[in-house]
Amino acid sequence: MMRILRSIYAWMDERLQLKGLMEYMGKKYVPVHRHSIWYYFGGVSLFLFIIQVTTGILLLLYYKSGEALAFESIRFIMAKVEFGWLIRSIHSWAANLFILAAMIHMFSVFFEKAYRKPREMTWLTGMLMFFLALGFGFSGYLLPWNELAFFATKVGTDIAGIVPVVGKPIMTFLRGGDEVTGATLSRFFGFHVAVLPGIFTVLLGMHLLMVQRQGMSEPLGHRAEEEQKTMPFFPNFMLRDLALWLLVLNLLAILAVFFPWELGKKADVLSSAPAGIHPEWYFLFMFQTLKYIPGKIWFLDGEVLGIGLFGLAGVLWTLIPFWDRKSARGEQNRFVNYLGLFAVLYILLFTILGWLA
Amino acid sequence: MKTVQRLAVTVAVLMLWAGGVAAADKCLECHTATGDKPSALFMHDVHRTKGITCAGCHGGNASAEDMEQAMDPKAGFRGVPKGDEISQRCAACHADASRMKSFGSSLLTTQFDQLKASVHGGSALDGKERIVQCITCHGAHGIVRVTNPASPVYPLNIVRTCTRCHADAALMRSYDPKLPVDQLEKYRTSVHGKRNAAGDPKVAECASCHGSHDIRSAKDATSRVNAAHVPATCGRCHSDAAYMKPYGIPTDQQEKFSRSVHGVALLQKHDHGAPACNSCHGNHGAAPPGIESISKVCGTCHALNADLFSSSPHKGIFDQQHLPECETCHGSHEILPATDAMLGVGPEAVCSRCHTAQKNPRGFAAARSMSTVMDSLRMMERRAQDLVNDAEQKGMEVSEPKFRLRDVHQAWLQSRTMVHAFNEAKFRTAADPGLVAAQAVITEAEAAIHEYTFRRVGLGISTIIITILAGSVYLFVRRLERRHQRSTVSHSHHTPS
Repeated sequence: MMRILRSIYAWMDERLQLKGLMEYMGKKYVPVHRHSIWYYFGGVSLFLFIIQVTTGILLLLYYKSGEALAFESIRFIMAKVEFGWLIRSIHSWAANLFILAAMIHMFSVFFEKAYRKPREMTWLTGMLMFFLALGFGFSGYLLPWNELAFFATKVGTDIAGIVPVVGKPIMTFLRGGDEVTGATLSRFFGFHVAVLPGIFTVLLGMHLLMVQRQGMSEPLGHRAEEEQKTMPFFPNFMLRDLALWLLVLNLLAILAVFFPWELGKKADVLSSAPAGIHPEWYFLFMFQTLKYIPGKIWFLDGEVLGIGLFGLAGVLWTLIPFWDRKSARGEQNRFVNYLGLFAVLYILLFTILGWLA
Repeated sequence: MKTVQRLAVTVAVLMLWAGGVAAADKCLECHTATGDKPSALFMHDVHRTKGITCAGCHGGNASAEDMEQAMDPKAGFRGVPKGDEISQRCAACHADASRMKSFGSSLLTTQFDQLKASVHGGSALDGKERIVQCITCHGAHGIVRVTNPASPVYPLNIVRTCTRCHADAALMRSYDPKLPVDQLEKYRTSVHGKRNAAGDPKVAECASCHGSHDIRSAKDATSRVNAAHVPATCGRCHSDAAYMKPYGIPTDQQEKFSRSVHGVALLQKHDHGAPACNSCHGNHGAAPPGIESISKVCGTCHALNADLFSSSPHKGIFDQQHLPECETCHGSHEILPATDAMLGVGPEAVCSRCHTAQKNPRGFAAARSMSTVMDSLRMMERRAQDLVNDAEQKGMEVSEPKFRLRDVHQAWLQSRTMVHAFNEAKFRTAADPGLVAAQAVITEAEAAIHEYTFRRVGLGISTIIITILAGSVYLFVRRLERRHQRSTVSHSHHTPS
């Protein structure tokens, strides 16, 4: 068996010069320290993205976009297609876990200051992918064309429409008209399966390439320690990654079987919104904040101000490698730590408040 | 409004004054001498007996000898009232409780307000006055008590009074083209109408059901003849044992009806589509439906049942034996919701009242067979429902079998209707598809529950496999790391210092 494998490798190596790559990978080491655990969340996010792509393609085999067919096709997938229920449930659960893993990855990178020079581009591509992941979640939520999704999309796109000057055209563009209709569903489907994956794949390629090229960042001050522990990236780190991926797969299967993702009632554009409409949990802190902001603050519209502040916070967060000069110089920056801590606590608090409301 | 009040006060003052000098009603003296009709009629008017003179309504000075003085506008003379002023003059006293009391009257003083709010209080064709004034029904100069047989609103006369307008097709068309004008014709065919014509003032006439001053459209929820109020309106007489005693008919119809499926729907569930008394007995032509026409009457709503019965073998036999059609099994006023137990040969079954194993074995066997099928259908529907609920609670997608449950229920309903064909083969055409559909739902729901178990078992196996795999990978990495550590240590030991 080993002989066959070796001959296949030799055949490939003769044509693709794999030896160089293998040597490069063999020399690549991952730092080992008390914060090493956070390195794994990038891999978990990648694994969940792969799950999303795989299950998404399988769902595409049966999903039919359109006001008249979307809901029915999902019901068909769940009731008639062999293991369709499992694929759909895993796709829905993995979508949420993907955003959670990406969020943990983002905050761990933030607190480790791993975005500092020379990894500014890695942080930027990661942040852009995070925003795209939110876009995936928002567009995918509508695709089953059920009541909750319909009204959540209506509320979500309404919020986009509040932004001065560009808000209305953005809302019309997202909806494909003035209201959420079958046209909205068609374009959300297009965004979800073509536009977003296309851009995401390019960014993911760049992100992974940069991670491989630059290696894992080490926490500030770590180099000062006497002896630096490392582990080979290949096969040790990759196999540890694999073991964790398998556990995540287990978790996904348990969630899909014990808490199958419900389909709910088909959306009816003429009915009134049911009570308790709220967006997905990852938008909940913003949604809840907008609820608390008064209608008018000084001469500004409360909602406009809220959206403006979130937008500004998002931009500052994304551009942190360029304004956190202290970390770039290898110095501790307590302000950034407190800022990150505030963001985590704020998101947790307002998500819980939104959930309880 | 101020004008009305001023007018009322003026008329009241005049009437007080006129009342005091009733004995000297110079208007009446002169007008009687001229031999005019109004004054002749006024001689017998109830108002004159109360001391009210012509001036009471027309104004002026009734005690003045001189005509100029008597009819002097300065003395309040107003001449012949026109339009709404007529009713306002009547209301000046009739809407004033203390004034009416001073004349010793116990009449209600709300008639004028009721008239204004009634269907007759709307504006007439010219738009200048109400459709009906007091004098339209009560007359003008010869007004007598309602209990006086000479009154146009006396029970034996009122039908003629109302139909002066209501039987006039041209007039009624100009107000409400949909309103029928054959009420009198129908009334004369009713039990009420026949007795009224024979001189019985106790039986129902127009005002008994519609009211007098407060007549409202039957569509109006406050109308006495609105569907929701019809049982109480009829029951005012028909539930009064003392009042109905001379007629020798039962007085428990209203009580029975209120317990019936129709009564519950109409009176408790407020379903205005449910039948009231008039739906079966008729309105103006009210009479008990004849034995042979019962299925037609019930069939106005229960059309399919009536058709099936008419073409069933029971039709001829019921006619032959003078059995009331639907009523024989379902009753009349106290029709309770039909149960499956009514079918078959059990103690509650109505079939067994005629069909016994000895007397009519064929009918007995058919009734028993249909009852068995009905019970099976019901049981299978319940089982299918329970299984679907169970599968749904387990989180399984069972919307399709859930939807098909409706077919089963529909078949059950159709079978209940098809019973009225009293033909087993026809009955099976409705029941069999229901049994097939129920079995299909049961199979699908059981498959979903089985799938639920399969998923859990599958999850258990895959979890074990994946966990073993993850554990193996981890152990392999640990072994690699230990080997790497050992080789590093031994390498450092063998390195010459």
